[in-house]
Amino acid sequence: MQQKTTQLSLKSYLDLNQLLSIYRGSHEENRLFSLSQKKRDSVAILLSWLEKNLYRVTSELNSTKYLHYLTIFSSLFGFIALILGFSTGFALLSYSGSEPVNVIYLLLVMVGLPLLSMLLSFLSIVFGNRGANFFAHLSPLYYLERVVNVLPFAKDIELSSLPFSATLSKWIFLQRVQIFSFLFSLGLFLSLVIMIISKDIAFGWSTTLQVDAKSFQALLATISLPWREFIPSAVPSLELVELSHYFRLGKHLDSNMIQNADKLGAWWKFLAMATLTYALGLRLIFWGVISYLFKKQLKKEFLSLDGVSKLIKEFQTPFVSTQSHKDEKHLEIKEKIIHKVEENVDEEYQAILGWNFSDEQLLLIEDSLGIKAKIKEPVGGKNSFLDDKKIIDKLKGDILIYVKAWEPPTMDFMDFLEDVLDNSSIKSVNIAPLGTAENQYKYTKEDMEIWLRKLDSIESDKLGVVNV
Amino acid sequence: MSSSYPKFAVVGHPNKGKSSIVASLALDDSIQIGNTPGTTQVKRGFPLKVDGKIVYELFDTPGFQRARGVYAWLQEHGDVPASKRVDVVKEFVYRHRDNKRFRDEVELLEPIINGAGVIYVVDASKPYGAEYEIEMEILRWCGQPSMAILNLIGDDDYKEEWSRALGQYFRLVRTYNPMTAGYKEHIELLESMAQLNEEWTKPIKQAIEVLNRHYELKIEQTISTIYDYMIKVLSFVHKQKIRGEEATPTEKKRAKEAYRKKILSYEHKEQETIEKIWQHNNIKKSKEELNLERWGLFSEESASIFGLSQKELIITGASAGAITGGGLDLLVAGSSFFLGSLIGGVVGGVGAMYGFNNLYDLKVLGQSIGKRELSVGPIQNLNFPYIVLGRALYHASVMAKRSHAIRGAIELKNISFTEEIISSESRKILEKVHIKLRKGKEISKDEQEEYKSTLHKSFLKLLD
Repeated sequence: MQQKTTQLSLKSYLDLNQLLSIYRGSHEENRLFSLSQKKRDSVAILLSWLEKNLYRVTSELNSTKYLHYLTIFSSLFGFIALILGFSTGFALLSYSGSEPVNVIYLLLVMVGLPLLSMLLSFLSIVFGNRGANFFAHLSPLYYLERVVNVLPFAKDIELSSLPFSATLSKWIFLQRVQIFSFLFSLGLFLSLVIMIISKDIAFGWSTTLQVDAKSFQALLATISLPWREFIPSAVPSLELVELSHYFRLGKHLDSNMIQNADKLGAWWKFLAMATLTYALGLRLIFWGVISYLFKKQLKKEFLSLDGVSKLIKEFQTPFVSTQSHKDEKHLEIKEKIIHKVEENVDEEYQAILGWNFSDEQLLLIEDSLGIKAKIKEPVGGKNSFLDDKKIIDKLKGDILIYVKAWEPPTMDFMDFLEDVLDNSSIKSVNIAPLGTAENQYKYTKEDMEIWLRKLDSIESDKLGVVNV
Repeated sequence: MSSSYPKFAVVGHPNKGKSSIVASLALDDSIQIGNTPGTTQVKRGFPLKVDGKIVYELFDTPGFQRARGVYAWLQEHGDVPASKRVDVVKEFVYRHRDNKRFRDEVELLEPIINGAGVIYVVDASKPYGAEYEIEMEILRWCGQPSMAILNLIGDDDYKEEWSRALGQYFRLVRTYNPMTAGYKEHIELLESMAQLNEEWTKPIKQAIEVLNRHYELKIEQTISTIYDYMIKVLSFVHKQKIRGEEATPTEKKRAKEAYRKKILSYEHKEQETIEKIWQHNNIKKSKEELNLERWGLFSEESASIFGLSQKELIITGASAGAITGGGLDLLVAGSSFFLGSLIGGVVGGVGAMYGFNNLYDLKVLGQSIGKRELSVGPIQNLNFPYIVLGRALYHASVMAKRSHAIRGAIELKNISFTEEIISSESRKILEKVHIKLRKGKEISKDEQEEYKSTLHKSFLKLLD
């Protein structure tokens, strides 16, 4: 069954990886999303983000394909383990009627083997990443890749594109190993139950080692420690141990054993409890621990997926915007300039006006450029409109107006210029843009172009631009 | 009624760099900036929003066009106490809202009468003129907290005379050149703006904090982008099937060209991402100035501009070799008397010297049944990663430092990418990763972090 993306799982891990390969959102979107969430935990927010955006993955989800194949293979292996366990149990408990079933042998398979596999799993946990590469090659994923590659649907699932690290593969493997082992033990247990019900089995114990019945009973009592208090009948008594002790498993049974056949059958309770406790119960606990560690590793890798740290950063960092919400009204700049700069300048004019120049500055300019006029007046600047009007009214003939080339023409100047041009006594109006005194009044080309463009907006034969 | 957040209107004479200052402060390179008066026709607000909430707002406004006309109107209607003068300005705006003659003045005065602080901009590279006093008088009538900015558009300097005049009208006078101002100057100007009004201090300080975090985030994103790019470029292998026993010159040429194109596409994509991070969305890419390819990724010239010199390369190679040898020493717990390091150093050094001109590593793979593959890359030359990294870091630093007021094409100067930016210690760290990438090995999380941290340090040096 498919898991929801709201829980951290292999599915959400794979889905997030796939989503991040095609979509990561903008800082603004991600921050707004995180602010809309009540959750504060990064993983929880990431899972919600995944759920919200997963629709963007329009192709088939890798998780669907991967989990489908993983489920098939796990089920297959699980079924095989169950059958194998049942067959093993059936074979071990087959009682021919002439020789008893050795309890020691049963204990080794039913309890010893599971404990050994648990020990191996434990060692792989302890070795951590050092064993990760090794376990990657034991992982179902590794073999899945090999098997799938030769199958017709090989192209359906690109395992190399999946983000699993060797460590995560190890945990996937370990988790499944616990399930397979559990199923194997379950098979053993079922066979024990079935055999007990359907057959009368005589159990005995024998070993090449010199072990007396008392020591063996003490060992069994220790093994029975977890259930000794609750089910005392499942703890083999010294009498039972002595009765079922025989020295060689031969072709015939000890007459003593035959006489106490009903008592010898009492071993099954102990074997059942040992399997339930050590092979099944302990395995479940182990599976729980490994599942917890797997989740922990999954969370670690989930947070290490390419793009996740950026996403979390964007969730946590305030989104700063400095842009204007209002569209700019663009000014259309005229490329062609009509007015030409006249290089021939008269030595004397009827009047010289200085737009935004003072009297002192006009004197300095006259001294520097040598252009004379009967009337020299500062205009604009701090003059009132009335002051300027009085000056315009007394003008006639050819007029020269000095302007500061570096100051672009304002509409205030344009109004003034129109008033000057309107004066019918004036023959010509010559605009002379000047640079700064420090630059010997030389204007720059760029400044002059600005003036020419602006003056082009006035249509008058009287108007000219001069280079003094 | 004024809003709860501070507002600032950037005002002044036409063509004094108002829009440039706003573009620089608002990190917006789309604002039209021109030397034609009247480029800005309507006021535009540039709010600094944090998670959608406005912290402060800047207004770009048209320049004064008929200041004398406005002042004449104010004087005519303004026979009132100083405390009431702002009402006269409000009345002027109200009465001239639909008057085209005073359109610019209405646009620039509107935010001020609505509570915006005044930032008056002048060009201090040109002489002071008394005509500015009318504009300053009008602003004084508005009664809002105000400061002046001396913008140096040209080469001359008239700051002193401007400061003397502006000091009489404005609480603060600061110099700020939007064309050259970096992040530090930006923040300093904001700090000055915070002083204008006690109520604005807190939000502006908050804005500064946010901007600082935002700036750090951009640096982090830059480093991540460069790191990802380095991984792609240094581990990329182009594979191509060949027909004969050995690749023909044409096949080799085609494979090299395909490889080169891919590497250049990675660089193009990386640069685009970096430009986006630093909010340069309108960079003019003139072929002459922006096209980095003119140096050629594989040319000697690139190596001399961004790469290490042959001597430095030998040191790097020796360091890398020494690391490998050092591993051997560690393995035998130093019982090799550190002979491993020595051998590694010599081998690395010689390797570097030998590999200086061998940029491509061409391999012919496959079986003798006729199906053969030609693979190009990863480039084994020890200098190559530094060429790529140098270009990436330099481009990123130019973007990080580039003012949003600049409208010209990008100009990349020739810089020497050497010891000052990447120390020999840092090179050892980088080389460890480069070796792994050349061998197609996986980079561990710790190595990634160490590599990024080294890039971070180098990038900060370039930003200084």
